[in-house]
Amino acid sequence: MSRSLPRAERGVQVRALKKSFGSHAVLQGIDLDVAPGEVVGLIGPNGAGKTTLMSCLLAFLHPNAGEITIDGLPNDDLRVRRRTGFVPERMNFDRRATGYSFLRYMAGLARVGNRETKVRAMLERLGIAGAADRRLSQYSRGMLQRIGMCQALIHDPDFLFLDEPTSGLDPNGVLLVRDLIAEQKQRGAAVLLNSHQLAEVGKVCDRVFFLNRGVIGREETLRHADRIVIAITMLPGFDANAIARIAGNAPKENVVIATVETEADIAQMVREVIATGAGVIDVRKHTADLEGIFRGVA
Amino acid sequence: MNGVVVAETVRRCVTSIAYWAFVALLAIISLGLARFDRPGTAWPSLVSLLAYIIGCTAIGPEFSSGTLQLILTKPVNRSVYLVSRVAGVVSAIWIAALIAFSFELLGRVLWVGAVRLDIIGAILINTFVDTLLICALLVFFASFTRAYFNIVIYMVLMIGLGVAQGMVSMFRSMSGTLGAWLATHDIVDRILASINSNLFPDAPPRLDWHWLLMIASNAAIAIVAACFIFRRREVPYGAD
Repeated sequence: MSRSLPRAERGVQVRALKKSFGSHAVLQGIDLDVAPGEVVGLIGPNGAGKTTLMSCLLAFLHPNAGEITIDGLPNDDLRVRRRTGFVPERMNFDRRATGYSFLRYMAGLARVGNRETKVRAMLERLGIAGAADRRLSQYSRGMLQRIGMCQALIHDPDFLFLDEPTSGLDPNGVLLVRDLIAEQKQRGAAVLLNSHQLAEVGKVCDRVFFLNRGVIGREETLRHADRIVIAITMLPGFDANAIARIAGNAPKENVVIATVETEADIAQMVREVIATGAGVIDVRKHTADLEGIFRGVA
Repeated sequence: MNGVVVAETVRRCVTSIAYWAFVALLAIISLGLARFDRPGTAWPSLVSLLAYIIGCTAIGPEFSSGTLQLILTKPVNRSVYLVSRVAGVVSAIWIAALIAFSFELLGRVLWVGAVRLDIIGAILINTFVDTLLICALLVFFASFTRAYFNIVIYMVLMIGLGVAQGMVSMFRSMSGTLGAWLATHDIVDRILASINSNLFPDAPPRLDWHWLLMIASNAAIAIVAACFIFRRREVPYGAD
Protein backbone atom coordinates (compact mmCIF):
# COMPACT_ATOMS: atom_id res chain seq x y z
CA MET A 1 0.00 0.00 0.00
CA SER A 2 1.30 3.42 -0.78
CA ARG A 3 2.19 5.22 2.44
CA SER A 4 1.29 8.57 0.98
CA LEU A 5 -1.52 8.58 3.55
CA PRO A 6 -0.84 10.82 6.54
CA ARG A 7 0.15 9.14 9.79
CA ALA A 8 -2.24 9.27 12.72
CA GLU A 9 -2.04 12.68 14.32
CA ARG A 10 -4.87 12.98 16.79
CA GLY A 11 -5.91 9.36 17.21
CA VAL A 12 -9.35 8.31 18.38
CA GLN A 13 -11.47 10.74 20.37
CA VAL A 14 -14.82 9.93 21.95
CA ARG A 15 -16.86 12.58 23.71
CA ALA A 16 -20.05 12.15 25.77
CA LEU A 17 -21.06 9.07 23.80
CA LYS A 18 -24.51 7.70 24.53
CA LYS A 19 -26.24 4.73 22.99
CA SER A 20 -29.56 3.19 23.90
CA PHE A 21 -31.55 0.27 22.58
CA GLY A 22 -35.14 1.25 23.21
CA SER A 23 -35.34 2.31 26.85
CA HIS A 24 -32.16 0.44 27.77
CA ALA A 25 -29.23 2.85 27.97
CA VAL A 26 -26.12 0.82 27.14
CA LEU A 27 -23.58 3.64 26.95
CA GLN A 28 -24.18 6.58 29.24
CA GLY A 29 -21.67 9.26 28.35
CA ILE A 30 -18.34 7.74 27.40
CA ASP A 31 -15.23 9.88 27.05
CA LEU A 32 -12.04 8.29 25.89
CA ASP A 33 -8.97 9.00 23.80
CA VAL A 34 -6.50 6.73 22.11
CA ALA A 35 -3.40 8.63 21.07
CA PRO A 36 -1.19 7.62 18.14
CA GLY A 37 1.40 5.11 19.29
CA GLU A 38 -0.70 4.13 22.29
CA VAL A 39 -2.31 0.81 23.16
CA VAL A 40 -5.47 1.22 25.21
CA GLY A 41 -7.33 -1.65 26.78
CA LEU A 42 -11.05 -1.87 27.30
CA ILE A 43 -12.15 -4.22 30.02
CA GLY A 44 -15.34 -4.80 31.89
CA PRO A 45 -17.86 -7.46 32.85
CA ASN A 46 -20.29 -9.00 30.37
CA GLY A 47 -23.01 -6.52 29.45
CA ALA A 48 -20.85 -3.53 30.37
CA GLY A 49 -21.20 -2.11 26.85
CA LYS A 50 -17.77 -2.97 25.44
CA THR A 51 -19.10 -4.48 22.20
CA THR A 52 -21.58 -1.62 21.78
CA LEU A 53 -18.77 0.88 22.26
CA MET A 54 -16.63 -0.96 19.73
CA SER A 55 -19.59 -1.07 17.31
CA CYS A 56 -20.12 2.69 17.68
CA LEU A 57 -16.42 3.36 17.12
CA LEU A 58 -16.50 1.30 13.94
CA ALA A 59 -19.71 3.05 12.77
CA PHE A 60 -21.76 -0.16 12.86
CA LEU A 61 -24.11 1.60 15.27
CA HIS A 62 -25.24 5.22 15.34
CA PRO A 63 -24.85 6.87 18.75
CA ASN A 64 -27.85 8.68 20.25
CA ALA A 65 -25.62 11.48 21.45
CA GLY A 66 -21.97 12.41 21.59
CA GLU A 67 -19.20 12.53 19.09
CA ILE A 68 -16.62 10.12 17.72
CA THR A 69 -13.77 11.48 15.67
CA ILE A 70 -10.74 9.71 14.32
CA ASP A 71 -7.93 12.05 13.42
CA GLY A 72 -10.52 14.82 13.44
CA LEU A 73 -12.77 13.09 10.90
CA PRO A 74 -16.12 11.36 11.49
CA ASN A 75 -15.60 7.66 12.14
CA ASP A 76 -17.66 6.61 9.09
CA ASP A 77 -15.56 8.68 6.71
CA LEU A 78 -14.02 6.50 3.99
CA ARG A 79 -10.66 8.23 4.52
CA VAL A 80 -10.74 6.95 8.09
CA ARG A 81 -11.78 3.44 7.07
CA ARG A 82 -8.88 3.31 4.66
CA ARG A 83 -6.63 3.60 7.71
CA THR A 84 -8.64 1.37 10.05
CA GLY A 85 -8.06 -2.27 10.90
CA PHE A 86 -10.52 -4.44 12.82
CA VAL A 87 -10.15 -7.93 14.22
CA PRO A 88 -13.50 -9.41 15.24
CA GLU A 89 -13.74 -11.92 18.04
CA ARG A 90 -14.97 -14.54 15.59
CA MET A 91 -14.12 -14.55 11.93
CA ASN A 92 -17.10 -15.12 9.67
CA PHE A 93 -16.68 -15.40 5.97
CA ASP A 94 -17.54 -17.67 3.07
CA ARG A 95 -16.03 -20.89 4.41
CA ARG A 96 -15.47 -22.19 0.88
CA ALA A 97 -12.89 -19.47 0.23
CA THR A 98 -9.25 -20.34 0.75
CA GLY A 99 -7.17 -18.33 3.20
CA TYR A 100 -5.31 -16.79 0.31
CA SER A 101 -8.40 -15.79 -1.70
CA PHE A 102 -10.09 -14.37 1.42
CA LEU A 103 -7.06 -12.26 2.21
CA ARG A 104 -6.70 -11.18 -1.39
CA TYR A 105 -10.32 -10.00 -1.34
CA MET A 106 -9.81 -8.08 1.88
CA ALA A 107 -6.63 -6.53 0.48
CA GLY A 108 -8.57 -5.53 -2.63
CA LEU A 109 -11.28 -3.86 -0.54
CA ALA A 110 -8.58 -2.05 1.44
CA ARG A 111 -7.00 -0.93 -1.84
CA VAL A 112 -3.66 -2.48 -1.07
CA GLY A 113 -1.13 -2.11 -3.86
CA ASN A 114 1.07 -5.05 -4.90
CA ARG A 115 -1.53 -7.36 -3.44
CA GLU A 116 0.00 -10.77 -4.22
CA THR A 117 3.29 -10.01 -2.50
CA LYS A 118 1.66 -8.33 0.47
CA VAL A 119 -0.82 -11.17 1.01
CA ARG A 120 1.92 -13.83 0.85
CA ALA A 121 4.09 -11.80 3.23
CA MET A 122 1.25 -11.41 5.76
CA LEU A 123 0.42 -15.12 5.65
CA GLU A 124 4.09 -15.86 6.21
CA ARG A 125 4.30 -13.37 9.07
CA LEU A 126 1.28 -14.86 10.83
CA GLY A 127 2.60 -18.39 10.35
CA ILE A 128 -0.21 -19.70 8.15
CA ALA A 129 1.50 -19.61 4.74
CA GLY A 130 1.33 -23.41 4.66
CA ALA A 131 -2.46 -23.29 4.94
CA ALA A 132 -2.93 -20.49 2.39
CA ASP A 133 -4.59 -22.74 -0.16
CA ARG A 134 -6.80 -24.54 2.32
CA ARG A 135 -10.46 -23.59 2.65
CA LEU A 136 -11.45 -21.54 5.68
CA SER A 137 -13.80 -24.36 6.66
CA GLN A 138 -10.68 -26.43 7.39
CA TYR A 139 -9.11 -23.75 9.59
CA SER A 140 -8.99 -24.13 13.35
CA ARG A 141 -10.25 -21.34 15.61
CA GLY A 142 -6.69 -20.15 16.14
CA MET A 143 -5.95 -20.13 12.42
CA LEU A 144 -9.10 -18.09 11.77
CA GLN A 145 -7.95 -15.65 14.42
CA ARG A 146 -4.56 -15.39 12.72
CA ILE A 147 -6.14 -14.73 9.34
CA GLY A 148 -8.34 -12.15 11.06
CA MET A 149 -5.18 -10.40 12.19
CA CYS A 150 -3.80 -10.65 8.64
CA GLN A 151 -6.80 -8.88 7.09
CA ALA A 152 -6.69 -6.16 9.74
CA LEU A 153 -2.98 -5.43 9.33
CA ILE A 154 -2.53 -5.90 5.60
CA HIS A 155 -2.91 -2.21 4.82
CA ASP A 156 -0.75 -0.96 7.74
CA PRO A 157 -3.67 0.70 9.55
CA ASP A 158 -3.20 3.75 11.72
CA PHE A 159 -6.18 2.86 13.90
CA LEU A 160 -6.50 -0.70 15.06
CA PHE A 161 -9.54 -2.14 16.85
CA LEU A 162 -9.01 -5.58 18.31
CA ASP A 163 -11.79 -7.61 19.84
CA GLU A 164 -10.39 -10.54 21.81
CA PRO A 165 -7.51 -11.04 19.34
CA THR A 166 -5.90 -13.84 21.35
CA SER A 167 -9.10 -15.82 21.80
CA GLY A 168 -8.53 -19.40 20.62
CA LEU A 169 -4.80 -18.91 20.06
CA ASP A 170 -2.08 -21.24 21.29
CA PRO A 171 0.79 -19.75 23.39
CA ASN A 172 2.87 -19.13 20.24
CA GLY A 173 -0.07 -17.29 18.72
CA VAL A 174 -0.53 -15.20 21.86
CA LEU A 175 3.14 -14.19 21.78
CA LEU A 176 2.87 -13.41 18.07
CA VAL A 177 -0.16 -11.17 18.61
CA ARG A 178 1.69 -9.43 21.45
CA ASP A 179 4.62 -8.77 19.11
CA LEU A 180 2.31 -7.53 16.37
CA ILE A 181 0.59 -5.11 18.73
CA ALA A 182 4.01 -3.84 19.85
CA GLU A 183 4.99 -3.37 16.20
CA GLN A 184 1.82 -1.40 15.46
CA LYS A 185 2.44 0.78 18.49
CA GLN A 186 6.03 1.34 17.34
CA ARG A 187 4.70 2.32 13.91
CA GLY A 188 2.55 4.97 15.54
CA ALA A 189 -0.83 3.26 15.28
CA ALA A 190 -3.53 3.95 17.86
CA VAL A 191 -4.67 0.55 19.17
CA LEU A 192 -7.84 -0.20 21.11
CA LEU A 193 -7.93 -3.67 22.61
CA ASN A 194 -11.09 -5.22 23.95
CA SER A 195 -10.24 -8.27 26.01
CA HIS A 196 -11.28 -10.33 28.99
CA GLN A 197 -7.76 -11.59 29.51
CA LEU A 198 -6.52 -9.20 32.16
CA ALA A 199 -2.96 -10.55 32.15
CA GLU A 200 -2.72 -9.99 28.40
CA VAL A 201 -4.12 -6.48 28.70
CA GLY A 202 -1.62 -5.75 31.46
CA LYS A 203 1.24 -6.84 29.24
CA VAL A 204 0.42 -4.89 26.08
CA CYS A 205 -1.61 -1.85 27.09
CA ASP A 206 -0.38 1.60 28.09
CA ARG A 207 -3.73 2.53 29.59
CA VAL A 208 -6.85 0.67 30.53
CA PHE A 209 -10.46 1.82 30.68
CA PHE A 210 -12.75 -0.12 33.01
CA LEU A 211 -16.23 -0.06 31.57
CA ASN A 212 -19.14 -0.92 33.81
CA ARG A 213 -22.87 -0.41 33.22
CA GLY A 214 -22.20 1.90 30.29
CA VAL A 215 -19.80 4.26 32.02
CA ILE A 216 -16.04 4.41 32.38
CA GLY A 217 -15.67 3.30 36.00
CA ARG A 218 -11.96 3.92 36.12
CA GLU A 219 -8.99 4.74 33.94
CA GLU A 220 -5.61 3.30 34.84
CA THR A 221 -2.27 4.21 33.34
CA LEU A 222 -0.10 1.09 33.22
CA ARG A 223 3.01 2.53 31.67
CA HIS A 224 4.28 5.73 30.16
CA ALA A 225 6.24 5.90 26.97
CA ASP A 226 8.93 8.11 28.47
CA ARG A 227 8.72 7.28 32.18
CA ILE A 228 9.28 4.28 34.40
CA VAL A 229 6.91 3.44 37.23
CA ILE A 230 8.57 1.56 40.10
CA ALA A 231 7.34 -0.05 43.29
CA ILE A 232 9.70 0.01 46.32
CA THR A 233 8.86 -2.40 49.13
CA MET A 234 10.26 -1.59 52.58
CA LEU A 235 10.40 -3.15 56.00
CA PRO A 236 7.91 -1.72 58.52
CA GLY A 237 9.02 1.24 60.61
CA PHE A 238 10.05 3.66 57.83
CA ASP A 239 9.50 7.42 57.90
CA ALA A 240 6.36 7.76 55.79
CA ASN A 241 6.63 11.54 55.42
CA ALA A 242 10.22 11.39 54.23
CA ILE A 243 9.42 8.60 51.78
CA ALA A 244 6.43 10.52 50.44
CA ARG A 245 8.63 13.58 49.90
CA ILE A 246 11.18 11.55 47.93
CA ALA A 247 8.78 9.43 45.89
CA GLY A 248 6.09 12.07 45.36
CA ASN A 249 3.53 9.51 46.59
CA ALA A 250 2.48 8.40 50.04
CA PRO A 251 3.40 4.78 50.78
CA LYS A 252 0.52 2.32 51.09
CA GLU A 253 1.20 -0.51 53.52
CA ASN A 254 4.90 -1.14 52.92
CA VAL A 255 5.01 -0.13 49.24
CA VAL A 256 5.58 3.20 47.61
CA ILE A 257 4.94 3.78 43.91
CA ALA A 258 7.16 6.32 42.17
CA THR A 259 7.68 7.57 38.66
CA VAL A 260 11.17 8.21 37.31
CA GLU A 261 12.57 9.06 33.92
CA THR A 262 15.69 6.89 33.66
CA GLU A 263 17.17 3.79 35.22
CA ALA A 264 19.83 5.98 36.85
CA ASP A 265 16.98 7.79 38.61
CA ILE A 266 15.85 4.46 40.09
CA ALA A 267 19.25 3.95 41.73
CA GLN A 268 19.26 7.53 42.99
CA MET A 269 15.79 7.22 44.49
CA VAL A 270 16.65 3.94 46.21
CA ARG A 271 19.76 5.58 47.71
CA GLU A 272 17.63 8.47 49.04
CA VAL A 273 15.04 6.07 50.51
CA ILE A 274 17.76 4.05 52.24
CA ALA A 275 19.27 7.32 53.55
CA THR A 276 16.03 7.94 55.51
CA GLY A 277 16.71 4.73 57.42
CA ALA A 278 14.14 2.62 55.59
CA GLY A 279 14.96 -1.04 54.93
CA VAL A 280 14.44 -1.58 51.21
CA ILE A 281 13.68 -5.23 50.48
CA ASP A 282 12.40 -5.08 46.89
CA VAL A 283 12.47 -2.71 43.93
CA ARG A 284 10.67 -3.63 40.72
CA LYS A 285 9.10 -2.04 37.71
CA HIS A 286 5.49 -1.59 38.62
CA THR A 287 2.62 -3.35 36.89
CA ALA A 288 -0.88 -2.51 37.96
CA ASP A 289 -2.92 -5.20 39.62
CA LEU A 290 -5.65 -5.26 36.99
CA GLU A 291 -7.42 -8.13 38.63
CA GLY A 292 -7.65 -6.25 41.92
CA ILE A 293 -8.86 -3.10 40.17
CA PHE A 294 -11.35 -5.10 38.10
CA ARG A 295 -12.79 -6.68 41.25
CA GLY A 296 -13.13 -3.23 42.75
CA VAL A 297 -14.87 -1.69 39.74
CA ALA A 298 -17.02 -4.63 38.64
CA MET B 1 -19.40 -0.03 -8.66
CA ASN B 2 -16.56 -1.87 -6.95
CA GLY B 3 -14.87 -4.41 -9.24
CA VAL B 4 -13.38 -6.32 -6.32
CA VAL B 5 -16.82 -6.92 -4.78
CA VAL B 6 -18.41 -7.85 -8.12
CA ALA B 7 -15.61 -10.32 -8.89
CA GLU B 8 -15.80 -11.86 -5.41
CA THR B 9 -19.58 -12.22 -5.63
CA VAL B 10 -19.33 -13.95 -9.01
CA ARG B 11 -16.49 -16.14 -7.70
CA ARG B 12 -18.58 -17.25 -4.72
CA CYS B 13 -21.43 -18.28 -7.04
CA VAL B 14 -19.42 -19.97 -9.76
CA THR B 15 -17.20 -21.94 -7.38
CA SER B 16 -20.24 -23.65 -5.95
CA ILE B 17 -20.95 -27.22 -7.07
CA ALA B 18 -24.67 -26.56 -6.60
CA TYR B 19 -24.49 -23.68 -9.08
CA TRP B 20 -22.90 -25.83 -11.78
CA ALA B 21 -25.28 -28.70 -11.08
CA PHE B 22 -28.17 -26.28 -11.63
CA VAL B 23 -26.53 -24.89 -14.79
CA ALA B 24 -25.98 -28.43 -16.10
CA LEU B 25 -29.67 -29.16 -15.49
CA LEU B 26 -30.58 -25.97 -17.32
CA ALA B 27 -28.36 -26.94 -20.27
CA ILE B 28 -29.84 -30.44 -20.51
CA ILE B 29 -33.43 -29.15 -20.30
CA SER B 30 -32.76 -26.41 -22.86
CA LEU B 31 -31.13 -28.88 -25.23
CA GLY B 32 -33.87 -31.47 -24.81
CA LEU B 33 -36.85 -29.13 -25.06
CA ALA B 34 -35.39 -27.50 -28.19
CA ARG B 35 -36.97 -30.44 -30.04
CA PHE B 36 -40.39 -28.88 -29.44
CA ASP B 37 -41.87 -26.08 -31.43
CA ARG B 38 -42.20 -23.55 -28.60
CA PRO B 39 -38.95 -21.64 -27.92
CA GLY B 40 -37.85 -20.93 -24.37
CA THR B 41 -40.14 -23.59 -22.93
CA ALA B 42 -38.74 -24.06 -19.46
CA TRP B 43 -35.33 -22.49 -18.95
CA PRO B 44 -36.54 -18.88 -18.33
CA SER B 45 -38.57 -20.12 -15.35
CA LEU B 46 -35.60 -22.11 -14.08
CA VAL B 47 -33.34 -19.08 -14.43
CA SER B 48 -35.90 -17.13 -12.37
CA LEU B 49 -35.72 -19.89 -9.77
CA LEU B 50 -31.93 -19.51 -9.76
CA ALA B 51 -32.45 -15.76 -9.27
CA TYR B 52 -34.54 -16.47 -6.15
CA ILE B 53 -31.92 -18.86 -4.81
CA ILE B 54 -28.86 -16.67 -5.40
CA GLY B 55 -30.56 -13.28 -5.12
CA CYS B 56 -31.69 -13.86 -1.55
CA THR B 57 -28.08 -14.41 -0.43
CA ALA B 58 -26.80 -11.00 -1.50
CA ILE B 59 -27.02 -9.15 1.82
CA GLY B 60 -29.23 -10.84 4.44
CA PRO B 61 -27.05 -13.84 5.33
CA GLU B 62 -23.93 -11.64 5.34
CA PHE B 63 -25.64 -9.38 7.83
CA SER B 64 -26.48 -12.25 10.15
CA SER B 65 -23.16 -14.09 9.88
CA GLY B 66 -21.07 -11.02 10.65
CA THR B 67 -19.30 -10.96 7.28
CA LEU B 68 -20.89 -7.64 6.48
CA GLN B 69 -19.44 -6.02 9.60
CA LEU B 70 -15.97 -7.12 8.54
CA ILE B 71 -16.44 -5.63 5.08
CA LEU B 72 -17.90 -2.38 6.35
CA THR B 73 -14.64 -1.61 8.15
CA LYS B 74 -12.99 -1.43 4.72
CA PRO B 75 -13.05 1.75 2.64
CA VAL B 76 -16.13 0.77 0.63
CA ASN B 77 -19.18 2.97 0.40
CA ARG B 78 -22.23 1.04 1.59
CA SER B 79 -24.30 1.91 -1.48
CA VAL B 80 -21.45 0.96 -3.78
CA TYR B 81 -21.10 -2.32 -1.94
CA LEU B 82 -24.81 -3.07 -2.25
CA VAL B 83 -24.95 -2.22 -5.96
CA SER B 84 -21.79 -4.26 -6.56
CA ARG B 85 -23.27 -7.26 -4.79
CA VAL B 86 -26.39 -6.99 -6.97
CA ALA B 87 -24.20 -6.72 -10.07
CA GLY B 88 -22.22 -9.80 -9.06
CA VAL B 89 -25.30 -11.87 -8.32
CA VAL B 90 -27.03 -10.76 -11.53
CA SER B 91 -23.87 -11.56 -13.53
CA ALA B 92 -23.82 -15.12 -12.16
CA ILE B 93 -27.50 -15.52 -13.08
CA TRP B 94 -26.98 -14.09 -16.54
CA ILE B 95 -24.08 -16.49 -17.13
CA ALA B 96 -26.51 -19.34 -16.40
CA ALA B 97 -29.15 -17.77 -18.69
CA LEU B 98 -26.61 -17.42 -21.50
CA ILE B 99 -25.60 -21.07 -21.15
CA ALA B 100 -29.26 -22.17 -21.27
CA PHE B 101 -29.83 -19.91 -24.28
CA SER B 102 -26.77 -21.34 -26.05
CA PHE B 103 -27.93 -24.89 -25.44
CA GLU B 104 -31.38 -24.08 -26.80
CA LEU B 105 -29.74 -22.66 -29.93
CA LEU B 106 -27.57 -25.76 -30.21
CA GLY B 107 -30.59 -28.02 -29.77
CA ARG B 108 -32.54 -26.17 -32.44
CA VAL B 109 -29.63 -26.49 -34.86
CA LEU B 110 -29.32 -30.19 -34.05
CA TRP B 111 -32.99 -31.24 -33.87
CA VAL B 112 -34.94 -28.66 -35.89
CA GLY B 113 -32.37 -27.25 -38.28
CA ALA B 114 -33.76 -23.72 -38.02
CA VAL B 115 -33.18 -21.06 -35.37
CA ARG B 116 -35.70 -18.28 -34.60
CA LEU B 117 -33.05 -16.00 -33.16
CA ASP B 118 -35.47 -13.06 -32.86
CA ILE B 119 -37.82 -14.98 -30.56
CA ILE B 120 -35.16 -16.80 -28.51
CA GLY B 121 -33.12 -13.58 -28.30
CA ALA B 122 -36.18 -11.71 -27.02
CA ILE B 123 -36.74 -14.42 -24.40
CA LEU B 124 -33.11 -14.08 -23.29
CA ILE B 125 -33.34 -10.28 -22.96
CA ASN B 126 -36.68 -10.53 -21.13
CA THR B 127 -35.13 -13.10 -18.78
CA PHE B 128 -32.18 -10.78 -18.14
CA VAL B 129 -34.46 -7.91 -17.13
CA ASP B 130 -36.87 -10.12 -15.20
CA THR B 131 -34.05 -11.62 -13.07
CA LEU B 132 -32.64 -8.14 -12.51
CA LEU B 133 -35.99 -7.13 -10.99
CA ILE B 134 -36.12 -10.28 -8.85
CA CYS B 135 -32.65 -9.58 -7.45
CA ALA B 136 -33.40 -5.89 -6.94
CA LEU B 137 -36.56 -6.68 -4.97
CA LEU B 138 -34.79 -9.33 -2.89
CA VAL B 139 -32.02 -6.86 -2.08
CA PHE B 140 -34.58 -4.21 -1.23
CA PHE B 141 -36.32 -6.56 1.22
CA ALA B 142 -32.91 -7.57 2.60
CA SER B 143 -31.98 -3.95 3.22
CA PHE B 144 -34.32 -3.82 6.23
CA THR B 145 -34.42 -7.47 7.32
CA ARG B 146 -31.82 -10.10 8.10
CA ALA B 147 -30.97 -13.68 7.15
CA TYR B 148 -33.40 -15.06 4.55
CA PHE B 149 -36.45 -13.00 5.51
CA ASN B 150 -36.20 -11.24 2.12
CA ILE B 151 -37.28 -14.34 0.20
CA VAL B 152 -40.06 -14.94 2.71
CA ILE B 153 -41.42 -11.42 2.20
CA TYR B 154 -41.07 -11.78 -1.57
CA MET B 155 -43.00 -15.06 -1.66
CA VAL B 156 -45.68 -13.89 0.76
CA LEU B 157 -46.17 -10.74 -1.30
CA MET B 158 -46.26 -12.60 -4.61
CA ILE B 159 -48.65 -15.29 -3.40
CA GLY B 160 -50.68 -12.77 -1.38
CA LEU B 161 -51.25 -10.55 -4.40
CA GLY B 162 -52.41 -13.50 -6.48
CA VAL B 163 -54.76 -14.62 -3.72
CA ALA B 164 -56.07 -11.06 -3.25
CA GLN B 165 -56.83 -10.75 -6.97
CA GLY B 166 -58.62 -14.08 -6.93
CA MET B 167 -60.67 -13.10 -3.89
CA VAL B 168 -61.70 -9.78 -5.43
CA SER B 169 -62.91 -11.64 -8.55
CA MET B 170 -64.78 -14.12 -6.37
CA PHE B 171 -66.47 -11.42 -4.27
CA ARG B 172 -67.40 -9.46 -7.39
CA SER B 173 -69.30 -12.42 -8.79
CA MET B 174 -71.20 -12.86 -5.52
CA SER B 175 -74.42 -11.10 -4.66
CA GLY B 176 -74.46 -8.63 -1.82
CA THR B 177 -73.17 -5.15 -1.07
CA LEU B 178 -69.48 -5.98 -1.45
CA GLY B 179 -70.05 -7.80 -4.75
CA ALA B 180 -72.09 -4.90 -6.07
CA TRP B 181 -69.52 -2.36 -4.94
CA LEU B 182 -66.65 -4.29 -6.53
CA ALA B 183 -68.61 -4.70 -9.74
CA THR B 184 -69.00 -0.94 -10.07
CA HIS B 185 -65.55 -0.02 -8.72
CA ASP B 186 -62.86 -1.81 -10.68
CA ILE B 187 -60.14 0.38 -9.16
CA VAL B 188 -59.31 -2.30 -6.57
CA ASP B 189 -58.78 -4.80 -9.37
CA ARG B 190 -56.69 -2.36 -11.35
CA ILE B 191 -54.48 -1.43 -8.37
CA LEU B 192 -53.81 -5.07 -7.53
CA ALA B 193 -53.15 -5.94 -11.17
CA SER B 194 -50.85 -2.96 -11.55
CA ILE B 195 -48.81 -3.88 -8.45
CA ASN B 196 -48.63 -7.47 -9.62
CA SER B 197 -47.50 -6.61 -13.14
CA ASN B 198 -44.91 -4.17 -11.82
CA LEU B 199 -43.39 -6.40 -9.16
CA PHE B 200 -44.00 -9.90 -10.48
CA PRO B 201 -44.38 -9.48 -14.23
CA ASP B 202 -45.03 -12.15 -16.82
CA ALA B 203 -42.55 -11.64 -19.63
CA PRO B 204 -44.11 -11.01 -23.05
CA PRO B 205 -43.31 -13.56 -25.76
CA ARG B 206 -41.58 -10.97 -27.92
CA LEU B 207 -39.39 -7.95 -27.45
CA ASP B 208 -41.44 -5.14 -25.90
CA TRP B 209 -39.38 -2.06 -25.16
CA HIS B 210 -42.10 -0.50 -23.00
CA TRP B 211 -42.18 -3.60 -20.82
CA LEU B 212 -38.38 -3.76 -20.64
CA LEU B 213 -38.19 -0.10 -19.67
CA MET B 214 -40.89 -0.50 -17.01
CA ILE B 215 -39.20 -3.52 -15.43
CA ALA B 216 -35.73 -1.96 -15.59
CA SER B 217 -37.12 1.23 -13.98
CA ASN B 218 -38.78 -0.77 -11.21
CA ALA B 219 -35.51 -2.61 -10.57
CA ALA B 220 -33.64 0.70 -10.46
CA ILE B 221 -36.16 2.16 -7.99
CA ALA B 222 -35.87 -0.92 -5.77
CA ILE B 223 -32.05 -0.71 -5.79
CA VAL B 224 -32.02 3.03 -5.05
CA ALA B 225 -34.49 2.51 -2.17
CA ALA B 226 -32.36 -0.37 -0.87
CA CYS B 227 -29.24 1.82 -0.98
CA PHE B 228 -31.06 4.60 0.87
CA ILE B 229 -32.15 2.26 3.68
CA PHE B 230 -28.87 0.31 3.80
CA ARG B 231 -26.75 3.46 4.11
CA ARG B 232 -28.35 4.37 7.43
CA ARG B 233 -28.92 0.87 8.71
CA GLU B 234 -27.24 -0.23 11.92
CA VAL B 235 -25.31 -3.46 11.68
CA PRO B 236 -24.89 -4.67 15.26
CA TYR B 237 -21.65 -6.55 15.71
CA GLY B 238 -21.83 -9.78 17.62
CA ALA B 239 -25.61 -9.62 17.75
CA ASP B 240 -26.26 -13.05 16.26
